[in-house]
Amino acid sequence: MPRLATSLLREAYAIHPCLPLLLRPCRDLQAARNELRWLCEHAGKVARLRRAKGRDADPKQLLKRLVQERAAGKPLQYLLGTEFFGDLEIRCQPGVLIPRQETAASVMHLTRLLRAALDLPPELRVLDLCTGTGCIPLLIADELTRCRQDVQLRLLGVDVSDKALRLAQYNLHQTQRKGRLSDTAKVAFIHADLLMEPFDVQPAQTLCLKKAMNYSRVPPFWDVFVSNPPYISPAAYWKTTTRSVRGFEPKLALVPPLPADPATDTEHGDIFYPHLLAMARDVEAKIVLLEVADLAQAGRVAEMAQNMAIFDGIEIWRDQPDQPAEERGAQPSRFPIIGQGNGRSVLCWRARGGSWLGKGPSPVSPLDDARRLWESHRVSSSFFDFKFNSRL
Amino acid sequence: MRATPWICRPCLSRIARPAIRRQLRFQSSAAAAETIAPALLSRARTIALEHERLNEKLANGFDSKSAKKLGEYSVIVRALKEWEAASEAAAELTTLIHDSSTDTELRDLAADDLDATRTQLVNASQALTTSLVPIHPFAHLPCLVEIRPGAGGSEAAIFAGDLLRMYQAFCSRNSLRATLLKFENADGTTEAGVPLSEAILEIESENAYGIFRCEAGVHRVQRVPATETKGRTHTSAASVLVLPSLNENAAGEEDFENPESDYYVDPKEVRVEIMRARGAGGQHVNTTDSAVRLTHMPTMTMVSMQDSRSQPKNKEKAWKLLRSRLAQARREKREEEMVNIRRSVVGVAKMGRGDKVRTYNWGQQRVTDHRSGITVHDLDDVMQGGQTLDTVMESVRNWLMERDVEALIAEESSRK
Repeated sequence: MPRLATSLLREAYAIHPCLPLLLRPCRDLQAARNELRWLCEHAGKVARLRRAKGRDADPKQLLKRLVQERAAGKPLQYLLGTEFFGDLEIRCQPGVLIPRQETAASVMHLTRLLRAALDLPPELRVLDLCTGTGCIPLLIADELTRCRQDVQLRLLGVDVSDKALRLAQYNLHQTQRKGRLSDTAKVAFIHADLLMEPFDVQPAQTLCLKKAMNYSRVPPFWDVFVSNPPYISPAAYWKTTTRSVRGFEPKLALVPPLPADPATDTEHGDIFYPHLLAMARDVEAKIVLLEVADLAQAGRVAEMAQNMAIFDGIEIWRDQPDQPAEERGAQPSRFPIIGQGNGRSVLCWRARGGSWLGKGPSPVSPLDDARRLWESHRVSSSFFDFKFNSRL
Repeated sequence: MRATPWICRPCLSRIARPAIRRQLRFQSSAAAAETIAPALLSRARTIALEHERLNEKLANGFDSKSAKKLGEYSVIVRALKEWEAASEAAAELTTLIHDSSTDTELRDLAADDLDATRTQLVNASQALTTSLVPIHPFAHLPCLVEIRPGAGGSEAAIFAGDLLRMYQAFCSRNSLRATLLKFENADGTTEAGVPLSEAILEIESENAYGIFRCEAGVHRVQRVPATETKGRTHTSAASVLVLPSLNENAAGEEDFENPESDYYVDPKEVRVEIMRARGAGGQHVNTTDSAVRLTHMPTMTMVSMQDSRSQPKNKEKAWKLLRSRLAQARREKREEEMVNIRRSVVGVAKMGRGDKVRTYNWGQQRVTDHRSGITVHDLDDVMQGGQTLDTVMESVRNWLMERDVEALIAEESSRK
């Protein structure tokens, strides 16, 4: 990282003595000034609240502490306690991944497409795996119920971390308290480990998704399947993530756990996707939206989805899927790439999902659709048989 | 001895003159020709092509701007089709008549038909010409008519009052809604019947500007004033200023969905830039950059917003700012246009008797419009805003249209 210019530091100091410290994580004067403003507002608010409780608080001291922590790399979202995800203010805590703007952009685009759909079922079920703060189900509920009062929404968030689940529950409670969640949306969160197979030994605390869903008596079939799983490979973790991410955000939410079988670095990064696609098939999801790291991973995930032969269409979305596609030379890609920015997510649809997304009705009859789902089950179960036998 | 007797010279020169002198019209040209200027025809053809292209474009996706254009063009395209059909029919009939192999009966029938087709062709070419004339951009708006006395002292002020009454009567007869915005006497009071110093009449009905546009200018009066003691005829003038009243059009900030509103911005014309995270983005960075930049491409107006931590909120604020900035620019442009219109109309300073547009002559009971060259003799009916005033105004409107056609032809031929 290039050293900060002395002239820049001096200029920053002339504006506010705390600014040079903030330049360390921000690297850019405008961003640092924004952060300082938000920190000042936060310090003022906290000091006011403390004084109201009769405790002594100096906003200047508070600001100094906050700025020092920020200079050490602690994410601003953890310091302020919240992050905006779309229109929602979501609570953040150390130990749970901070919601990202790019995720919000993809999810908002998906809900915008769904909002325009004419033939949504009376109850739309949305399953979000690796939910973290619970931001995705809450945003979908907020955006969809605002203009689709005719559709009952049922949303389920799943995570392996107890801390994340507690925070998700808190966020759900807060959103309800602020009146952002209408009565037509029901949101719940359950605990499950996605990488665990149903026939593995189940520890007392953790269950696989199927058993957890059975146990919580939630329906086994879902219409929309969304996930923002850990997708960074160990090598990329050291190379491409920023220091603030490495130092303060949970590695559990960023890098998939070490696989049992030896795998290359890229395979390690992709571990979650075959499992997620299999689960999407098991719950008979009509629309699947999976977040990925970049275009290369998007291509690999789209390939996996293609090989399952159950989807009517597959698309790759960039960071801003609502913007007109950028002309960056014609990439040789088998899948349409939509929007501007880095490759961000993979969208697959089958059966009625196509008409919900405005892609036209499914070219496959319902009978053929059921047949190809069953075929896909058989192919993968023979794959598991093989694994089972080899283990013996 | 000479064969012809002596003839006096004036008589000789009279022979050379035609027996009945034709009334010549110098300024107007009401020639109803069956031919149409080639420049206009080529313009009509390009518009027809454009119409086709727009039709195709609209089939793929709706766009309010091109839809409006399409509606404007469709009249021209229809007129062009009619003209083409008529001219083709006429050409066919002519060849039929000139063809020696045609038998006489058929030839007679063709000759009968040719007359009808000729009139059809004349109508069609006239329709095409009028459809090509661009409608004045403000013609559909309500208007303000300002009347002020010019040269001629108190007689001019009295005549200005007469004009005001004339327009009021005209409005009530044509059921146009007119309200007197301002009325000031020569003594600075609002008492009626005293010489007028300034009056502003607002005509709120639609298309009022299109109707009253032809009235702007200096109106000259020739009569023996009421204030005259020795019975001499005076010539005085009053000026009439006609302005489109645009304020009605300025819709509020709330209805920015309405394309007529100042606050309307076509989302397709705006480039949205979101400050992207450096590098990989996504889970790799936890950026707090929420800045949004909007650029309105046609005017290159740029707005960036980074106050809030929430990107959608910043976007919303940026849109609001962009809308109000564009509305401000549009308002300023409109006001400038208004100033230009005001300047182009004869100012109060040089309101002489010479630059008149119309003369009201009491002695001969005559009204002459100097632009269209029309003269009518029912002065009383004109001053009461009657049918005769309609005739005069109609002729001026036709004259204005002919000027527009000429300008159009000149413009087209200069472009080649």
